[in-house]
Amino acid sequence: MNRILVVDDEANIRLLYAEELTDEGYEVATAASTAEATEKLQQQSFDLAVLDIKLKNESGIELLQKIVKERHDMPVILCSAFSCYKDDFSAWLADSYVVKSGDLTELKEEIKRVLAKKAQRKAAGL
Amino acid sequence: MENDTATQWECCWDRDQIQVGDCPNLGEGDEDLLSSRSRRVLEKCCNCEKFKRDLERFYASGHPLAPMFSILDEGYRRQRSHIQSLSSFLDTKTLETRFMHELGSVLQSSVDLEEVLSVALTAITSGKGFGMNRAFLLLADKERHFLRGHLAIGPRSAEEAGQTWHEVATSDLDLQSLSHAFRQNKLSAERDKFQDILARLVISMDDIHHIIVSSLEEKKPLLVQNAFHNPDVDPELARLLGVDTFLILPLIARNRRVGAILTDNFITRQPITDEDLRSIETFTFPVAFAIERASLYERLQVEVAKLQEANRKLQEQQELLVKMEKMALVGRITSSIAHSIRNPLMVIGGFARSILKATPQNDPKRDFIDSIVAEAHQMEEVLDEILTYSDALYPIRDFWDVNQLVETTLREIQDKVITQNYTCRYHPADGLPAAYIDYKQTSYCIRNILLGTIDGLENGLLEISTRLEGERVEILIDDRSRRLSEDELEALLTPFAETHEMGSGLNLALCRNMLEKQNIPLLVVAPPDAGVRYSIKLPTRKEEQP
Repeated sequence: MNRILVVDDEANIRLLYAEELTDEGYEVATAASTAEATEKLQQQSFDLAVLDIKLKNESGIELLQKIVKERHDMPVILCSAFSCYKDDFSAWLADSYVVKSGDLTELKEEIKRVLAKKAQRKAAGL
Repeated sequence: MENDTATQWECCWDRDQIQVGDCPNLGEGDEDLLSSRSRRVLEKCCNCEKFKRDLERFYASGHPLAPMFSILDEGYRRQRSHIQSLSSFLDTKTLETRFMHELGSVLQSSVDLEEVLSVALTAITSGKGFGMNRAFLLLADKERHFLRGHLAIGPRSAEEAGQTWHEVATSDLDLQSLSHAFRQNKLSAERDKFQDILARLVISMDDIHHIIVSSLEEKKPLLVQNAFHNPDVDPELARLLGVDTFLILPLIARNRRVGAILTDNFITRQPITDEDLRSIETFTFPVAFAIERASLYERLQVEVAKLQEANRKLQEQQELLVKMEKMALVGRITSSIAHSIRNPLMVIGGFARSILKATPQNDPKRDFIDSIVAEAHQMEEVLDEILTYSDALYPIRDFWDVNQLVETTLREIQDKVITQNYTCRYHPADGLPAAYIDYKQTSYCIRNILLGTIDGLENGLLEISTRLEGERVEILIDDRSRRLSEDELEALLTPFAETHEMGSGLNLALCRNMLEKQNIPLLVVAPPDAGVRYSIKLPTRKEEQP
């Protein structure tokens, strides 16, 4: 079972992601801040992280940079309420981008695609 | 001479009172002279043959006063002739002064170059003016490098002369009316008629040996005679005019060489006298000033027009600035609101979906949950639209093939076109240069305009074309099926305004904002009964970018 870390400062969104992704067969952990996410990343291993770009007083991009640096084998999907994230070149480090929506179909498909790609890479020994 | 009863005089000078018929020199209106001997003698007897014979008889009589009388008579006749000559000269000068006054009034009151020229040339050639046959006007160009034939007036043949002069003689018009009629009816025809000569009357103002330039240099009119054999006259000029004698009238105003008039008697071959030259010379000063003033006025008008155009552009820029500020404000507000709305909306929609999944098909609450899902979805779509609007602030440009862009966009909306049973005709121009644009944004705008046009209307006609407009590639979208009022057109371009015909104004306002960020004007016009036309002019060079 793939483990996914969801990072979002909104409790309801964390809950929604957890419900929906669990239904999809993933094991889901959530974090409300960069610090909490860092802590969980140190404690457990995850197959994928779903990050909100705009956390309360923090930037999801900074967390993304940290993950890429320390856990380069873990793919990251960025979520945002606003598509302007593409203007920040650091955001290009992410494996995928999804605009937040009540319809999680796109996010779920991206998770599948990114995980499949990771598995392919692993199989190829990269 | 005394009244000797023995002498029978032939003339009636010796009688105080005479009867009608006694003096053959009295005519109608001379009744007063029948009883006034002194006036009759002074006014009539001098020219009377009978009196002349009486005088001869008196001189032959040997009377001692006869030689003295002869001296007085001769002196009187000479003075009388002189007075008559002066009177005639005075009459001529009075007419000339009146004419010059009329001419001056017309010239001073006009700032219209064509009118001034018409008056000047009519004055030279009309019988009431200087009565010359033809006149050619040469004007200095703006840089004052060349004199160029500008206008000519007069007949080219004896037949035409007879006809024209007859018309003028019978019309009884004053100078102003004559020149007005000339300007209205004949000016361009005369110009065309003399075009062959005017086109060849080009003289360098640096050619100081040319007789016309020389006349301008000396600021003196010139009576040119024996032109065909005159070493001072350019043979080409003599050949062009086809006359042996002509006048050159330099036009000088405030020491500036304005031009020159050449005038001649091409038809009548009447000699031109020094008196003619002196008369016309006085006329050239007001003409030169009037031409200079009218030319300056014309240039002033051009400058005023430029200023007005600059003002209009400035006004447009100000309006644009206000509009852009409004747009930018709308952008900031919408992106801020969107951020705050997106998360709760996502939660509402997301959980509604989750609940819906877990709700049995026959549960009556399913409809309510369905509604929540649908409404949340619709709100998300509106939010996306608003956010795209804010997103338009940062275009990424490159060189793209415009025809390909339009074709791709048309393919994207093909399904909608078919569903609405719309007819779409595309007329791409060949050989267009690549446009320097943000492909994604431009394509989005064209698609939105096309969809907005098709939306809500069936069986319509849409024509799309591309063409080169100066240095820009223009995309024209002609919606032949709609009619919009001015208010509706304004609403169409205002964010969040609604038009009865085409729904929310956000889409088109968004497109305009997106394009304006790339310095691409989007013009929408809706002439009455001619549909709606959208024009997008794309730059083809990087320098055109803001």
